[in-house]
Amino acid sequence: MVSAAKLRKAQDAIIQIRPYAEKLHEILINLVAQNGSSDFENKYADHPEVKRILIVAITSNRGLCGGFNANVVKMIEELINSVYAPFRQKGVIDILAIGKKGADGLKSKNIAVSGTIHQLYDKLQYSSAEEIAQGLMDAYSRGEYDRIDLVYNQFKNAAIQKLTVEQFLPVKLEGTKHSESSVHKYINNYIFEPNVHDIMSTVIPRSLKIQFYKAILDSVASEHGARMTAMHKATDNASELVRELNLQYNKARQSAITGEILEIVSGANALKSS
Amino acid sequence: MYLEIITPEKKLFAGEIELVKLPGTGGSFEVLMNHAATISTLMAGKIKVKEFNGKLSYFDIQGGVVEVVNNSIIILVDTAGLV
Repeated sequence: MVSAAKLRKAQDAIIQIRPYAEKLHEILINLVAQNGSSDFENKYADHPEVKRILIVAITSNRGLCGGFNANVVKMIEELINSVYAPFRQKGVIDILAIGKKGADGLKSKNIAVSGTIHQLYDKLQYSSAEEIAQGLMDAYSRGEYDRIDLVYNQFKNAAIQKLTVEQFLPVKLEGTKHSESSVHKYINNYIFEPNVHDIMSTVIPRSLKIQFYKAILDSVASEHGARMTAMHKATDNASELVRELNLQYNKARQSAITGEILEIVSGANALKSS
Repeated sequence: MYLEIITPEKKLFAGEIELVKLPGTGGSFEVLMNHAATISTLMAGKIKVKEFNGKLSYFDIQGGVVEVVNNSIIILVDTAGLV
């Protein structure tokens, strides 16, 4: 039950990050509610034309966890053959694989992987995830990519993982606008120090990094959940096999014994009658 | 008033306090009871916390964001250590 212990740890990490993420989101809502996102310039906003796409495949380094990694690979294959098909023909889709299994899976489907990061899981902490996120954000703001998507397993509970395709960049501020009711709740006459733009330009990258870190944590927790389920199924399957084999063995034994008894009895009968 | 200091990995501090001093981007400032609602960014520096029993604690931070509203203060920092 090693995965069970690891799952607990991963779950705790998600619970830890939640208040941070929620508060940050709330602050962002406040800022957007009071100033509107449309006039706000930021380097993570939409690029006018989408020329190059990066897909980040978040999988695990280890296997034996059911469809966990295969699902991500399948989803990417589907994605680049449907929505992003025109981009694929032009060869402007790059795939970054985080996790060995994802990289292997994609390679076996003849999908080129342009970069891999495997060492992230060795000692997972915010600072290392932040570095990768910063790298992605820099690449985006330099114009190397015009859209970055994350594909990962979202953690629902130990038994359920939800495969998710999430837009990482350009940043989505509109999503925060919809929740009108929550906006009203938070409207206060805030003093912004030093000013709204400076705050926005530190809060947005921060929230992006948190989004990325959360995706990684989700994926790690899902991995352990999926492995637990897979191992449990394997155990069930093995015990079923053992039961069947046992039955077969007993049947064979019984018929052998019956045969032997018949032989003796008929032998004795033959002696008696003679 | 209530103070929480949160990093993405853990909660560093939570509790009732008398005073907190923060390294704001626009200059260092203190927050006392009934402070006006404020959102501010923080730069690298030290956070000083004074609890009601007079106990002082210091946290080293590398930057963050603070929200003050209705006598509840929430500080979001990337990484921090108790000094």
